[in-house]
Amino acid sequence: MRLKKIMTDFFLLMALTTNISFIFGPNPYELVITVITNLTATILKLGEGKILATEMTAASLVADLHLVPAAFLYFLGDTSEAVSLAIGALAANIISILLSIIEAVFSYLAEE
Amino acid sequence: MRLRRLETIRRKLLRKKRQKTLKEVYQERFIESLKELRIPLLLIHASMSFGTLGYMFLSGGNFIDSLYMTVITIGTIGFGEIAKGTDTPIGRIFTTFLAVAGIGMFTTAITVVVRIFLVGDIIKMLRVIRMLSDIEKLKDHVIICGYNRISAWLVDALRKRKIDFVIIDSKEESLKYVQLHNIKYFIAEEPYKKTTLLSAGIMKARYLVANMEDEAKNIAVIVTARLLRPDKEGLFIYSNAPTEGTAQKFEELGANKVIVSDKLIANRIFSYMIHETSGYVSDLFDRIAYGEEADLEIVELYVSDKSQLVGKRLKEIDLRRLYNVTVIGIRKPDGSLDLTVSGETQIEAGDVLLLLGKPSSIKKAMGFYREVLI
Repeated sequence: MRLKKIMTDFFLLMALTTNISFIFGPNPYELVITVITNLTATILKLGEGKILATEMTAASLVADLHLVPAAFLYFLGDTSEAVSLAIGALAANIISILLSIIEAVFSYLAEE
Repeated sequence: MRLRRLETIRRKLLRKKRQKTLKEVYQERFIESLKELRIPLLLIHASMSFGTLGYMFLSGGNFIDSLYMTVITIGTIGFGEIAKGTDTPIGRIFTTFLAVAGIGMFTTAITVVVRIFLVGDIIKMLRVIRMLSDIEKLKDHVIICGYNRISAWLVDALRKRKIDFVIIDSKEESLKYVQLHNIKYFIAEEPYKKTTLLSAGIMKARYLVANMEDEAKNIAVIVTARLLRPDKEGLFIYSNAPTEGTAQKFEELGANKVIVSDKLIANRIFSYMIHETSGYVSDLFDRIAYGEEADLEIVELYVSDKSQLVGKRLKEIDLRRLYNVTVIGIRKPDGSLDLTVSGETQIEAGDVLLLLGKPSSIKKAMGFYREVLI
């Protein structure tokens, strides 16, 4: 068990779950927490050189680029646009999680 | 069934990977070096997130004001208590706490990030990656392995002729001179490695100069280059050797021409002795061949057995009148040189005509020869 992997996966999942809960019930705190966890996950993935790491970093950056404008739009009053951007970020977050699972399986097979 | 599939995937994963190009290696190193940014970025992110969330709770969820308040606090700007709830005792306690913890974290992290970019290898690596991408676009260029005085003279001549070249050398000392001489394409790796030569664009290069100080290294470069480009007419390899025996060995290993520098110097001194007045004649052909005599050029014109020139007399093709180009000699197939040519001299198959004239006239004459006479 690797501590770093737990940390990264925790922030990835946290970003995904808060993202979903924001879409179903828009709330300022949830959105900000989504942005914070997503940015943390991206920073933790910086410089990762493993299998699928580039794809994961790219997916995470895409989610950031959806969520940061979503936060500003939401607090400027455009809730519907913020929600639709958050849905876009959700797609990227789901891909991130899937890639993380594939990477885990790959590294398990390679180590065996 | 499923287990077998998993086993196949596992084998594929463990299979030996293909050799990476130098560009890929540097790109990986660049990505790896981004790791250094993790801690400072996390520090900035943590202080910003903590401040923003705290002010949001105080102001009842106003994100923009909270973010602004955090930035002006930890960025030591301190415009005042802008966000709602910050002028209350709880708000002030929070601001004090944020300022004490956040300012240190923020400024330290910013300093580290700037330092990584300015002092670290990140910018340098980006430059190398860009340069390697540019090298990939080169064609018919020259690869010079080893940077020393000979290479520096060669670079000078190539620059005059506007021919692209790539230098490969791994020595620290050479690196210093490369920067000093403002070399555009330089690879700081061992030149005898396959990856290095491939990254220098050997597959599209026209010439390679093995000019290392060490004889063994020159051999390694010549052999590796010839393995990658076996065609001696496709890639011309030149080198220098201390003795005739070594030169012969180099040529047998794949070099097109190897110069024995001591012999060359001795011959030159001897030629000055023969033309003792000014040495003008001794230098003339060199100056023409090296392009230093701007108004004159000398080229070789090979006459194949299919050429229409075969059987013709020099006065019949009349190159002097048509193109202002003079045939100054003919090298016969047996290697002898005939310098007593006249209008009556007949051209034979396998002859090499030595043409002397202005570069523009030579170009026209050669164009005519290639298009019409072959």
